[in-house]
Amino acid sequence: MATIELRDVEKIFGDNHAVKPMNLTIKDGEFICLLGPSGCGKTTTLRMISGLEAVTSGTILLDGRNVTWRHPSDRDIAFVFQLYALYPHMTVRDNISFPLRAEGMKREEIDIRIGEVVDILRIHHLLKYKPGKLSGGDQQRVALARALVRRPSAFLMDEPLGALDAELRETMRAEIKALHHAQNATTVYVTHDQIEAMALSDRIVVMSAAEVQQVGTPAEVYYEPANLFVARFIGSPGMNLIDGQLDGDLIRFPGNDSTMAVPAHFRVPLLAALDKGDDVVVGFRPEAAAISDDSTMAGEVYAVDMHGGYKLLHVNLGTATDPVIVHLRADRLASHPMGSSLRFTADPAMLRFFDPKTGRAISPSETAPVQTQPVEVTA
Amino acid sequence: MTAISQAQKESTGQVQPRRQRRELSDRAILNLFIWPTLILLIAWNLFPLIYSLFLSFTDYSAIANKAPTWVGFQNYADILSDPQMWKYFATTGRYALVTVGMQTILGFSLAVLVQEKFKGSGLVTTLILVPMMLSPVVVGMFWKLMYNPSFGYFNFLLGFRNPSTAPEMLAGRFAGQPVPNLALWAVALVDIWMWTPFVMLLVLSGLKAIPDYLYEAAVIDRASSWFQFWRITVPQVMPLLMIAILFRTIEAFKSFDLVMGLTGGGPGDQTELIAVNLYRQAFLGQWRTGRASALAYIILIVIIAISNLYIRYLNQAKED
Amino acid sequence: MSDFYETGPSKPVTESIRVDKVSPRSRRIHSLRAIVVIALAIFLLIPIFIMAMTAFKTRSDVVSSPPKTVFEPTLEGFVFLFTERAIITPGRITKLQEAAESGDLGLFDRIALKSGQEITGPSDYVTRLKNSLIIAGVSTLLSVILGFFAAYAFSRFNVPGKDDLMFFILSTRMLPAVVVTIPLFLMYRQLGLHDTHIGMILLYTVFNLSLAVWLLKGFIDEIPTEYEEAALVDGYTRMQAIRKIVLPQAMTGIAATAVFCLIFAWNEYAFALMLTSNTARTAPPSIATMLGRGGIEWSAIAAGSLGFLIPVVIVVFLLRDYLLRGVTFGAVRK
Repeated sequence: MATIELRDVEKIFGDNHAVKPMNLTIKDGEFICLLGPSGCGKTTTLRMISGLEAVTSGTILLDGRNVTWRHPSDRDIAFVFQLYALYPHMTVRDNISFPLRAEGMKREEIDIRIGEVVDILRIHHLLKYKPGKLSGGDQQRVALARALVRRPSAFLMDEPLGALDAELRETMRAEIKALHHAQNATTVYVTHDQIEAMALSDRIVVMSAAEVQQVGTPAEVYYEPANLFVARFIGSPGMNLIDGQLDGDLIRFPGNDSTMAVPAHFRVPLLAALDKGDDVVVGFRPEAAAISDDSTMAGEVYAVDMHGGYKLLHVNLGTATDPVIVHLRADRLASHPMGSSLRFTADPAMLRFFDPKTGRAISPSETAPVQTQPVEVTA
Repeated sequence: MTAISQAQKESTGQVQPRRQRRELSDRAILNLFIWPTLILLIAWNLFPLIYSLFLSFTDYSAIANKAPTWVGFQNYADILSDPQMWKYFATTGRYALVTVGMQTILGFSLAVLVQEKFKGSGLVTTLILVPMMLSPVVVGMFWKLMYNPSFGYFNFLLGFRNPSTAPEMLAGRFAGQPVPNLALWAVALVDIWMWTPFVMLLVLSGLKAIPDYLYEAAVIDRASSWFQFWRITVPQVMPLLMIAILFRTIEAFKSFDLVMGLTGGGPGDQTELIAVNLYRQAFLGQWRTGRASALAYIILIVIIAISNLYIRYLNQAKED
Repeated sequence: MSDFYETGPSKPVTESIRVDKVSPRSRRIHSLRAIVVIALAIFLLIPIFIMAMTAFKTRSDVVSSPPKTVFEPTLEGFVFLFTERAIITPGRITKLQEAAESGDLGLFDRIALKSGQEITGPSDYVTRLKNSLIIAGVSTLLSVILGFFAAYAFSRFNVPGKDDLMFFILSTRMLPAVVVTIPLFLMYRQLGLHDTHIGMILLYTVFNLSLAVWLLKGFIDEIPTEYEEAALVDGYTRMQAIRKIVLPQAMTGIAATAVFCLIFAWNEYAFALMLTSNTARTAPPSIATMLGRGGIEWSAIAAGSLGFLIPVVIVVFLLRDYLLRGVTFGAVRK
């Protein structure tokens, strides 16, 4: 098993900065997801760790050993490709045994090793077929088996479930999770699917525009996004972000006449970070809102999406010509006809504040107690 | 586009039926498009094929003013029992084996060399392809000049400075003494020169079709370059290499232009390939149309047999 | 070597490349490979260089032994190629010499004086070349037009027995010319098509049709049907949709197909040899028969070959990206 460390790793393609200098330490046995929209540099990062892509500058350490310029086969890592990359002219057995045959292992030992992984992934019945005859899920199981059979010190996976349909993706996600639980091997997993990242990882590295936006546990990136990008990108829909102005202990919302009291644990940090009258972005998750008639934040229902277990309301806090839409979660039985007015509050413990100039989150003070009383919003 | 749809909107029901009457149905268009091609192919290929099958069972001669007489399998029996004909077939077989074998080895190696891009590799690849685009008979002509024992460059470049002790490639002589088959290999060399690029081109297209990720997977799987070459490159390119071999083998049995340009079948019958002999029997002096037709059919059967072997291989590859 | 593993390459890598390919050893192998390929290409082209050289030699230079590599280039070969000549009478020689002294002697006269022969008219080769141009040009046009229509039908309509028909079309190309030549010869004699332009044009058209249909079908298959369907919905007729939508998009494919047909018709020898004698004889058989006539004029033959090859080489170079699909009947995509 192994640790992986990236020090100022950077990749430039011609004039295009694919990955800006990046630092990351992955602990032994950790499951890390590189999450971001397409073109954010996550796959390039993974390929640099594997050696399939040469770095422009920076250092890559595997278990403390500098492997930056080592051949991919010197790194003792396995790679699972998005399109499986199975050898089409070989049977499943030959595919799985390929890495073992490449290093000249004895036949009997190969058979034992194949037996092991085939048991883990339950693919005995596929051994004699060629990959072309297999379903997508089975092909991915074979690809996993080929990676496992080597007993590498780390697994790198590049959107391994990207080519599967939704249902199969969920099954395979569970299998990968069980596999990691059993093997406990260091794994770096690239995906653009945040549900996958949330479900699988110990920590998530959110990337965008060639840069790391935030590194944190799934809960951290969800509840404490480090900047506006993460706030918008994580969750579906993303965090509600409303532009306001700081006025002492209040936040005013231009064009709405509403104000909101700053929760106690944000008072000092907000005043430290911003001046009076500065713009500030207020953020809260749809599920942080509580709808009740005696609340003071008001808006008009713009659209209603039925999600089965709950309803997602699109509420306009602005005007018809200058709308400010927020998403609120409502009870599935509650009736909120389109065009009707409603009132809500946001749980102060789940409120976040961002500096619009830098886009970065303003951290709460650690000494002040987290206020749990509803914030007074006066219209 | 807009002009038409507007015109349609402006004009009401009256125009629509007229338009429909003028407009051809898809069915009519299909027939109109396909039949000219099919008729031409039938008239120029299928009909001659059947006609020559009929002629092959007759004693017809195109210059004799006599209706063809049915002779049954006489022509076929004559050809198959003629040791001379077997010799021509053997010559053709040897020729095919050597040319196709060398073209395969050289073409494959060239393709492997050329496949990695470098500055100007496009231009170089194109230049390598030039020989196969030339007219075979013209190629034969100037190689004849190359091979000329006294003023040709071939011996000169090989280092023979004195014509009297140098090989006369096309005359099949070396230092004045006849050498069997030297002329055949001289013709084969030109064939190899001309058609190795063809094999290279096909193999190259096969190499380019191998997805990069297979090699990436192999590198991750710690396969050496040698292991990758034999376990991935060769099996992946095999189908296209087989197409190349098939095409070239068939061509060897049709080989005519090059030999006519170089030797016309000589010296003696050293380079008398089967297609050259067919031409000689059908046209030059002999005009044995019936017998030549039978020979043409035998050649056709050989070619079909070779193609079948290949198709069987391809199907088997698909099965697995 | 160990240095590389510690510090990496001297220049930062700014391309997509695998780690092991940037090692000094890989880079060296890569350059070596390029040098080998270039050397091989030059080696392969030696015969063509020599032929080009020969085209510019005088008669005596061509037959010098050992062969001359350094010589004074002349256009004698080309003049001989395109003209019929007669031995100059002694009286004419004196006249030309006088003209040479006074300095007003044309290029042709100068060559005439030097070689002792005088031009009496254009040679056969001019007629042959004209025949080649007409026959190759018209047959290419016909094959592409007919091939385009058939390919469109096979690509867009549900043709009954499509696969069998396509195989039949392909198989005609595999047919050895020798098998069909005899009946075609008889057929042409009967129909009066022997040694006629129209006969050769039709023959080459048919022979190229199979290639044209296969190639063009591949190209048309790649044009999405949605555009035509949209046009049909908009009230276009099928023919209008083909003309305005499919045709422009298939243009590169048509060009590539035309080139292949042209090269075949231009180079073809066997049919031309057997089915023409004089009126419609094309250049390839006539270049071959030049050998037979009188003293062998190698520079003229080389000049003829060179002039005959240059158009093909130019065309090949311009359309090199399409070559691949041409030689494989469109079976290989890129």
